[in-house]
Amino acid sequence: MSTRATPRETPRETGLAAREVTLSYGGAPVVRDVSLDIPHGGLTMIIGPNGCGKSTLLKALARTLRPDSGTVLLHGRDLRSYRGREAARHVAFLPQNPIAPEGISVRGLVRRGRYPHHTLLRQWSPEDDVSIGLALERTGLRDLAEARVSELSGGQRQRAWIAMVLAQETGTLLLDEPTTFLDIAHQYELLELCHELHRDGRTVVAVLHDLNQAARFASHLVVMKDGRVVAQGPPPEVLTSRLVEDVFGLACDVVPDPRTLTPMVVPHARFPTGDPSTSAPENVPG
Amino acid sequence: MGPRRTRDEGDRMTRTRAAAPRGFVTLGPAVAIPVARASLVTAAVTVALVAVAAVATLSLGRLGIPLADLAGALTGEADGKQEFVLERLRGPRLVVAAGTGAALGLSGALFQTVTRNPLGSPDVIGLAAGAGSGAAAVALLLPGVLPAPAGALGGAALAMALVYVSTGTGFRDPGRLIVAGIGVSAIATAFTQYVVYAVERDRASVLTAYLNGSLAARSWEHAATIWAVLLFVAPFVALLSRRLVVAEMGDEVSGGLGAGPRGTRAGAVTLSIVLSAGAVAVAGPVAFIALTAPQVARRVTGGPGPHLTLAALMGTLLLVLADLAAQQVPVPVSLPVGIHTLALGGLYLGYLLVREWRRGTL
Repeated sequence: MSTRATPRETPRETGLAAREVTLSYGGAPVVRDVSLDIPHGGLTMIIGPNGCGKSTLLKALARTLRPDSGTVLLHGRDLRSYRGREAARHVAFLPQNPIAPEGISVRGLVRRGRYPHHTLLRQWSPEDDVSIGLALERTGLRDLAEARVSELSGGQRQRAWIAMVLAQETGTLLLDEPTTFLDIAHQYELLELCHELHRDGRTVVAVLHDLNQAARFASHLVVMKDGRVVAQGPPPEVLTSRLVEDVFGLACDVVPDPRTLTPMVVPHARFPTGDPSTSAPENVPG
Repeated sequence: MGPRRTRDEGDRMTRTRAAAPRGFVTLGPAVAIPVARASLVTAAVTVALVAVAAVATLSLGRLGIPLADLAGALTGEADGKQEFVLERLRGPRLVVAAGTGAALGLSGALFQTVTRNPLGSPDVIGLAAGAGSGAAAVALLLPGVLPAPAGALGGAALAMALVYVSTGTGFRDPGRLIVAGIGVSAIATAFTQYVVYAVERDRASVLTAYLNGSLAARSWEHAATIWAVLLFVAPFVALLSRRLVVAEMGDEVSGGLGAGPRGTRAGAVTLSIVLSAGAVAVAGPVAFIALTAPQVARRVTGGPGPHLTLAALMGTLLLVLADLAAQQVPVPVSLPVGIHTLALGGLYLGYLLVREWRRGTL
């Protein structure tokens, strides 16, 4: 059964939370009155149809979009009351289309993740080398550290960006569709990395398109539709055939993933042959 | 895993405390500033080339001070003619060219970095033309009321306000920026022409100075103005430089790193306006130094980063060379330096337009 979103009024001491947040890009609201607690130390995945406001919500959590009304709380305090670099030492954000500067090396890019820890006169410290080294190791880019980002494959480039936000050394990572443009093997590699980071104690929030991937990796699933959170909770409770039908308009069965037993969406696809005998049965227990 | 990592960290920290990584200049544990070696080499070479061009400027031609006498003349042992050349004719002109070039190069680097496009440059988007018309209006319509730099500043700010409003997206979209800039540029140029013809019917040279830029007959006063502007702006540019480095990665990445793009953009555009206004006030809207200098700096080093210092040095080199050409290239009439930069920069602008169009970044 899906858990309906219920705004909690008590401010929490740790982690990120949204309180009745309304967001827009100057026009009609894209996200309306959303209240949400990001589970501290969890791997939260936000899913929903195109244009439902999931990326927009992530931007507000990342402090790159100012709410029209409502507040985003970081450790119980309004995110806007933090100075930019101070907030960036708690929360790192990887947007969908980051721009790599011309001619930059992987190490140079990762080093830029250290920006919030620097001052005008102190733009390098011994901790930088540690953080950058760990971030490169974690993403398997140690041998490519001196390569130019423009020469990397799509999967390597995305890992370089992940390394940059890892070098930021924040407790929370926000990733906007990190698997887009990656082939399926690299998608899983990246999701496994997200899971490792979560297992090591970081809070990870990712916007994702693929429901089965989200269900397999998330500890907490947030479902959005038309600018609102319509369901959230552990994937087995949230992801039901009825929810997928309601939110995405897709008739489907939800069956246990044969490997992980997490919910798996099997659409009632219309088969090209149109032969009814090959179509899936109406109800499969899940 | 845990203890091993800690020991590694400890090792690495003691090792690196002794020697900072390549590309950083350190001063005790409190100061570490990135200085890439490629940039350092480029800077040294550029400074050397500027020195050569400066010597050539002072010593070439009929009135030039012979090389053998130059050192003496510079240390105060000039004869009457040499002193005139040094103190009145070519000395101030050279110092103005150096300062103006630096201001234009820096102005271009600031603007190009925050628009993330080589075409988002003060001379392409109407900033220089606006400053020129402001300076013309103040100098010719209200002589003695306001100094020319104030007029240039007003004109530049007004032109940028017009561009900002007419794009509808501020300074974010390079394509719109360029189109709006062409319009504002045309308006400003037409206004300048009107003012000059209305007030100074007979003096084509005045028109040249305000429309194309000229370094003819500059005084030490002009030199003091542009160098004062540079010195005033320099600390603000230094403060902003770190934000400009992350601004290269787009609004969202820089926002996520805690350097809000709006603040960066506002700061860079303001400083760029002040620098351009200063340059235009002393030399007129010399074309395309702001466009080309940062691009040359970028090409030569091949690395990322806004290359602010290099862009300034490259601007100096380009303008000193252009003025050397303006003084020494044997053409029937003596052309102002602005015509030279216009001719060469125009070709480069054409190349950039084609390239950016093909890349789809326009």
